[in-house]
Amino acid sequence: MKRRNFIKSMMAVSAVAVTPVALMAKDEAKAKKKGPNDLTFEAAVKAITGGKEVKESDKIKLTVPEIAENGAVVPVKVEVDHPMEEANYVKAIHVLNTKNGNARCADVMLTPANGRGYFATRVKLGSTQEVVALVELSDGTFIKTGKSVKVTIGGCG
Amino acid sequence: MAEARKSMIKIKPKKYKTGDIVKVDFIVIHPMDTGLIKDKKTGKIKPAHYIDNITFSFDGKPFTTMKVWETVSTNPYFSVNFKVPGKGKITVDYTDNTGEKNTKSKKLKPKD
Repeated sequence: MKRRNFIKSMMAVSAVAVTPVALMAKDEAKAKKKGPNDLTFEAAVKAITGGKEVKESDKIKLTVPEIAENGAVVPVKVEVDHPMEEANYVKAIHVLNTKNGNARCADVMLTPANGRGYFATRVKLGSTQEVVALVELSDGTFIKTGKSVKVTIGGCG
Repeated sequence: MAEARKSMIKIKPKKYKTGDIVKVDFIVIHPMDTGLIKDKKTGKIKPAHYIDNITFSFDGKPFTTMKVWETVSTNPYFSVNFKVPGKGKITVDYTDNTGEKNTKSKKLKPKD
């Protein structure tokens, strides 16, 4: 009898531990934790470009650390190699991420008075992901470049 | 939130002439809460509180406007370039999602 009881109880324990329902509930609780302005990366890009084509370009120099030990403070620097004249200038620099709840970090509208297409800030990254700089030129074309950042400790709570 | 937030405008490099391109750094002490983190003391979720609009202007003329979200770090730092047109004043206005408004300015004194 002892042995039978023991096996029974063992089976019950293992059944509870592996029950997919319990795991699903945990995942759901995680997914429910949402910020006020959550937007996916694809939706954010569409909102900015309006469905226009975005070309990969090496004109943009994006400086981010390869490995960020603290995801709460990740320095991002964007430099655009493009003239800043009255008729031909960098109109906007958008800093985006691919996996945070809210994919947008900052939209910077520049004017020819800036003299150079440059923007730097610090962002939070929740997990290992890509930081993307999407640049709008004054003729209405979009160029972008992205770099992945390895995050060891997430910074988005 | 009656007291003014600590903020700072830095011009780099320190010596510049008319026509030079300088870096304008703006730093402000702000919590930038995402609305996801629990307060350790009370156990309640802190409401979202972040800067959302920033305007850099020179003598009243805006030259850079930014829209910012909570994904920017605590005590944020924003840096842009600016071509010095002469003597004047750089002003940075910022508002956050709770409607708080603040202004910070610094004089530009190019050495010719």
